[in-house]
Amino acid sequence: MVEDTPGDGVVALPRPALTPEDAARSQDRFRVHDARRRGRRWTLLWLLVGPGILAMLGENDGPSMISYATTGATYGLGFFLPFILLTFAMSVVCQEMCMRVGAVTHRGYGQLVLERFGPLWGWFSAGDLIFTNLVTLIAEFVAIRIGLSFFHIGAGVAAVLGVALVVFTLSGGRYWRWERIVLGMAVFNGLFLVAAVMSHPRLGSVGHAFITASPFPGGSFNTLLLLVASTIGATVTPWMIFFQQSASADKGLTPGDLRHGRYDTVAGAVLAALFGCGALIAGAALFAHGGAGFDPSHPLAGASLPGALKLVSGNAVGTVFALGLIEAGAVAILTISASTGYAVGECIGVAHSFNNTTRKAAVFYAANIGAAVVAAAIILIPGAPLLSIALNANVLATVLLPVALVFLIMLANDRELMGQWANGAATNRIAVAIVVFISVCGAAYGVDSFLRAVHLVS
Amino acid sequence: MTAAEEQELVEFLERDQLVTDTARPVPRMALSRRTSVALWALRVFVVVVSAMVIYTFISQIVH
Repeated sequence: MVEDTPGDGVVALPRPALTPEDAARSQDRFRVHDARRRGRRWTLLWLLVGPGILAMLGENDGPSMISYATTGATYGLGFFLPFILLTFAMSVVCQEMCMRVGAVTHRGYGQLVLERFGPLWGWFSAGDLIFTNLVTLIAEFVAIRIGLSFFHIGAGVAAVLGVALVVFTLSGGRYWRWERIVLGMAVFNGLFLVAAVMSHPRLGSVGHAFITASPFPGGSFNTLLLLVASTIGATVTPWMIFFQQSASADKGLTPGDLRHGRYDTVAGAVLAALFGCGALIAGAALFAHGGAGFDPSHPLAGASLPGALKLVSGNAVGTVFALGLIEAGAVAILTISASTGYAVGECIGVAHSFNNTTRKAAVFYAANIGAAVVAAAIILIPGAPLLSIALNANVLATVLLPVALVFLIMLANDRELMGQWANGAATNRIAVAIVVFISVCGAAYGVDSFLRAVHLVS
Repeated sequence: MTAAEEQELVEFLERDQLVTDTARPVPRMALSRRTSVALWALRVFVVVVSAMVIYTFISQIVH
């Protein structure tokens, strides 16, 4: 929250005692102050990046990469390549607002919505988040399971691996440690770009698709709407909003760090767009080969992606893609569990920081691990419709997103909280256009699918 | 941690960054009637569309 800092004629009040959380955060801030004082620009950048890259690469998750590759396999190179860039540009606008609100207010999204708009809206937001996070977490475990099955490893290992990762990264009681471990893992999202290069795409076709956004996809209108909605859901989601704002506050960002926070967000978007396009280009090899070993029209097509790529592009491409799916699922499990922990802790009003011990922030850590355990347990249920859940996870996130975005825009415009760092007119115009666009796309798919399901249209 | 060490560390945090400050609730915003109606309309809209998506999802599984 914006406050006057002691200056001429203002008497500084005595500082309250430091909690262990403050002390841990203060040590991180000391390094930032030191790098800034010594003029070490690269060290400063290294210290301040994190939440933006993690939000963006965390959203390049299992279902998103399956969705991109399925889009490539269904339509080939064309409209969807530049469309991915457009969705990441939208994502930058939304995530920059999250980072800014977190850095200025030092509070998470759930806490601010609850306190500023009342408990009803706060719990609606948290409820939406917990529901979509649970569905998405199941999808992440499914992605890990698909990746591991390429190496003939079963679902039990996927479940144990995911939960063990969450527990491992939570140990230590430091935000910095958690962030750096997950960042280290997120680097391997680049495997999708490697898979794209190894599948030897025609560079002329890739360039033509980016420049002309053509050919425009034909075929089933409903499938097109599904892929548009899931591509949006692969880049802008409710958990990213909760996560980046809370992580920015937990990291200790301040208004003085906004420039680096923007670098962090844009760098994350560029990397994620590059790797997302990589997944689509790798998947497009299946389209170019007439869909050998792969039936894109089948609703559960994602399951056979690594295997189909092995048939069409070689064993190495299939292996790299399978490893990429394991990475994408694992990183997303960590970031999505974290956003669940932040939301629950903030709405209940208890300690919600990685800079606390497990005893001090028991609810935060329990929500983190609990969300992963529930999702892991569901993928072990025999006959559960896991792949349908995976393919619908992004669509559900898209449908529920407009409410979260509207509250974010209201917070970013709240001059009482944000002072001089409130949204400008241009940002507001773009943000409102994004909300309208996402609402129309989500509603179009929802209504069209529903009318088909009840046989009112064919 | 000694008082001197604590004093040194606290200098690197902004006052409103301390846990004691962030735990203090921000005042509630007074929403106008128009804003409340718009928020409820949006809420109903996403619930209806979500129900459609979930219905479609379940019907796909059943069939």
